Amino acid sequence: MKPFKSGPMKALTLRLQDELFAIEAESVREILDLVPITEVPNAPPFVGGLINVRGRVVPLADLRVMFGMDRPPPDKDTRIVVIEIEIDGEPTVAGVLADKVHDVTDIEAASIEEAPRVGMRWRADFVRGIGKRNGGFIIIPDLGRIFETQGVRTASSPASEERLAS
Amino acid sequence: MSFPDPTETFRQEARELLEQLEQGLLDLEQNPANDDLINSTFRALHTIKGSGAMFGFTAVANFVHEFETAFDQVRKGQTVATPALIEVALNAKDHIHKLIEQPDTKLAGGEAILVALRAVIDGANAPAAAVPEAPSKGALIELDLDMPAEAPAPATLADLTESIWRIRFHLPGDALVYGTNPLLLLEEIAAIGPCTITALTDAIPSLEAIDPEVTYLGWQVDLTTAEDPSAALDDVFMFLRDGMELSVVKLDGASPAATEPTAPAIAAAPAPIAAPPAKAPVATPKPAKAKAKDTPAPMQEAKAAQPAEKDKAPASSSMRVDAERLDELMDRVGELVIAQARLTQIAAMSQDGNLKTIAEELERLSSGLRDTTMGIRMVPIGTLFSRFRRLVHDLSRDLDKDIEFITTGEDTELDKTMIERLADPLVHLIRNSVDHGLESPEKRLAAGKPPKGTVRLSAVYAGAEVAISVSDDGAGLNTERIRAKAEENGLITAETKLTEQELNQLIFAPGFSTAKEVTSLSGRGVGMDVVKRTIDGLRGSIDVATKPGAGSTMTLRLPLTLAIIDGMLVRVGNGRYTIPLSAVEECVELPDGVEANARGRNFLDIRGSLVPFLRLREVFNTAAPAEPHQKVVIVSSGEGRVGLVVDQIIGNNQTVIKQLSKLHSAIKSFSGATILGDGTVALILDTAHLVGFGQTYVDRNKSEGKAA
Amino acid sequence: MSKTILTIDDSASIRQMVVMTLAAAGHEVIEAINGADGYTKATTNTVHAVITDLNMPVLNGIEFIRKYRQHPSSKGVPIILLTTESDEELKRQAKEAGATGWIVKPFKQDQLLAVIKKVTGA
Repeated sequence: MKPFKSGPMKALTLRLQDELFAIEAESVREILDLVPITEVPNAPPFVGGLINVRGRVVPLADLRVMFGMDRPPPDKDTRIVVIEIEIDGEPTVAGVLADKVHDVTDIEAASIEEAPRVGMRWRADFVRGIGKRNGGFIIIPDLGRIFETQGVRTASSPASEERLAS
Repeated sequence: MSFPDPTETFRQEARELLEQLEQGLLDLEQNPANDDLINSTFRALHTIKGSGAMFGFTAVANFVHEFETAFDQVRKGQTVATPALIEVALNAKDHIHKLIEQPDTKLAGGEAILVALRAVIDGANAPAAAVPEAPSKGALIELDLDMPAEAPAPATLADLTESIWRIRFHLPGDALVYGTNPLLLLEEIAAIGPCTITALTDAIPSLEAIDPEVTYLGWQVDLTTAEDPSAALDDVFMFLRDGMELSVVKLDGASPAATEPTAPAIAAAPAPIAAPPAKAPVATPKPAKAKAKDTPAPMQEAKAAQPAEKDKAPASSSMRVDAERLDELMDRVGELVIAQARLTQIAAMSQDGNLKTIAEELERLSSGLRDTTMGIRMVPIGTLFSRFRRLVHDLSRDLDKDIEFITTGEDTELDKTMIERLADPLVHLIRNSVDHGLESPEKRLAAGKPPKGTVRLSAVYAGAEVAISVSDDGAGLNTERIRAKAEENGLITAETKLTEQELNQLIFAPGFSTAKEVTSLSGRGVGMDVVKRTIDGLRGSIDVATKPGAGSTMTLRLPLTLAIIDGMLVRVGNGRYTIPLSAVEECVELPDGVEANARGRNFLDIRGSLVPFLRLREVFNTAAPAEPHQKVVIVSSGEGRVGLVVDQIIGNNQTVIKQLSKLHSAIKSFSGATILGDGTVALILDTAHLVGFGQTYVDRNKSEGKAA
Repeated sequence: MSKTILTIDDSASIRQMVVMTLAAAGHEVIEAINGADGYTKATTNTVHAVITDLNMPVLNGIEFIRKYRQHPSSKGVPIILLTTESDEELKRQAKEAGATGWIVKPFKQDQLLAVIKKVTGA
């Protein structure tokens, strides 16, 4: 788990369903309005889509999958946050769906606590920490970990192909 | 503009030259008397020496110098290029290569090679090349003490130790035409010290006789300087020594005001005298004809012109380009193609005639640009093939097998990066053929074969792929041994049923080697699996064909991964997908009756042959409603074909291939993605994989048929 | 003042070195890969000086000089020959063919610049 740097963490806050999440501002490349999403058949649900960002084909990730949330269709508040993170040592550009994007804010490092080992709805290793803001909690996801675990899975011999072959 | 490191350029250049050298030496072995070959080999050496010295590769320059000297004997026809000589020469070439790659390490072996080289060149121990020493640059200054002195000037402002030197010179008649600028010479002299310059017009003929391009004028420069300016004047006139008239005389106490045009008859000493230039007023020089007879330094008759080293082969006019820049260029072209596609779409929906015309023109232009740019990265595979000649030559020598090495399809072009990655696998396959495939000459004779074994390397296009084959006329693969070894290694059990193809493919399993002997070259079993892995990494495949006693053929099939291709756009459900057009054979309608067929019997009858088909709706898990009349796009890859059933065939488009990220690259059905004219992303189907998948139907069908 | 200088050499590394050196001094450089290419470039561009290698395929340095000197546009254009030897005979031949001067390889960059300054003033 990446340690937090000392000093306040500049982060982009966004909403996924009922929860507030924060992504380190350093990783954020841009924020887009909703664009047409191309579905990738037989891809893991976490990265089920592709989008066009200025002529570049970028995978689209839905964090709501990892956090077991509902996934209603996009609405006028939906945004796509384009981030660049390291996956297996390689810098990768990806888009992340957000139900709503708030603002860029400072989160005091002091206020960030480690995620509790038990009693949390989600896998502890997906969460770098939980910060506090305005009386509420902000979840800081470990994006690198999430992408590495869920995204880069060998989608070999998709189930459908096996079915057909039987 | 940023420049690459010249030392690196030299290295690359040297590598190419050394390759040329090697090919030349190998060719020379076949044609020892070919003058052109000798000359071009010689020139390669010469260039390496010259450039090497320029960039600090002194060891290289020295070694090549010795090498050159020895080879000069061959050039002069005093020694014939025997195979022994070629062998040593090849070793020398390897040595030079090492010296270039590791200039700092002290490499032994150079001396030994030179000794061997000299020894092979019968007797004549070539001494270090006799480069004539530069003639003594001693300047001769004639101090003409009888020169009528001017009235001794009173103590001038000049330093007491300074004197005035009278310099007079006439240039050869062709000096101006041949690029000498007297003004610059005078400037150089004026830089030595203050001077007064006068033009000497004595040699100017009458107006009718004047040839404006000939140097008639001479000059007299009275130069004030403390030191003898001879050395400096040497510098000034260093290119003009022979053929000019020059005199330098020290004037004792003479005043610098010498404006009188002096009388002609200048006793010129041909010795070069250098004078540093100085700024001084100069009379406009009119071309003056130097009387040829006054010139004491006779121009020697030009001896027979130095035999020009004519190279009959035309120099290919080519340029080095940084690979990165090429990639950038490709990206730009790709972006242009995408933008143009969007424009075409907009134009299609517009009423504006001008817009439509321009969109069409732009499509034509961008298509042309695309083709040209794609062509740049494509390199003929022949560059790789020529490397192997040396390999086979050495193998033939090491293993004592006489081998004929035939290559075809050298012009077949592949992407540059792919060619580099193919080198190792091909080396391994060739080694295998030579080492294990080809029998010894005795065995061959006993088997009724010619003692000389043949290894054939070929490259050919096949649809959207390139097929590169290594075949030999050796003993072939021993299927029983393969089976035995596979069972021994636990890869299969005695009961496992395998087709011949599948059995042969076992040789690519890690650690698998049926070679009875482990030679130093191969047989350790580490090679074939690496070959397979490399080819897999290139999204290719390997076919094995063998006939006991007759030989084997290994065929590598690789996709042509051009960055911009023509694609066929299809719709499956709500998604659009692109199929590389080069893989498409034809399109048909899915016959109605077929829908009703039981699963596992997905075959179409195409003019008598059975072609398996895949319902992409099912492969992609499409929920959207199906078109009543499905279409089938029949694609081929290698020897196989499959029909891809889609909802709709939309049309053709130029497809810019974008790589899929790590997150999607493992999904085998897709080889990449592209951006369509309307800005949405479409996935590109991996036809090779889909054909392979369809093949499982065929195989199962066959085996079930057999079992029935 | 900047001059346009043509460099003719079949060695890309030497050409590159010459280009870098001259460009850094503010000159424009045109490249050619052998004597024939050099002749074309010399006669279709305005060049203020030519630096040519001796040993080249198709047309070597001296052949180039001879041929170029027959073309009217070569009048007054300084031609410098690059040679690996300071062979007197060679120099004489070069001068006879019409060379203005020479530089012996290997040479340093400032030597190159000095010769260019010598024959072009820039």
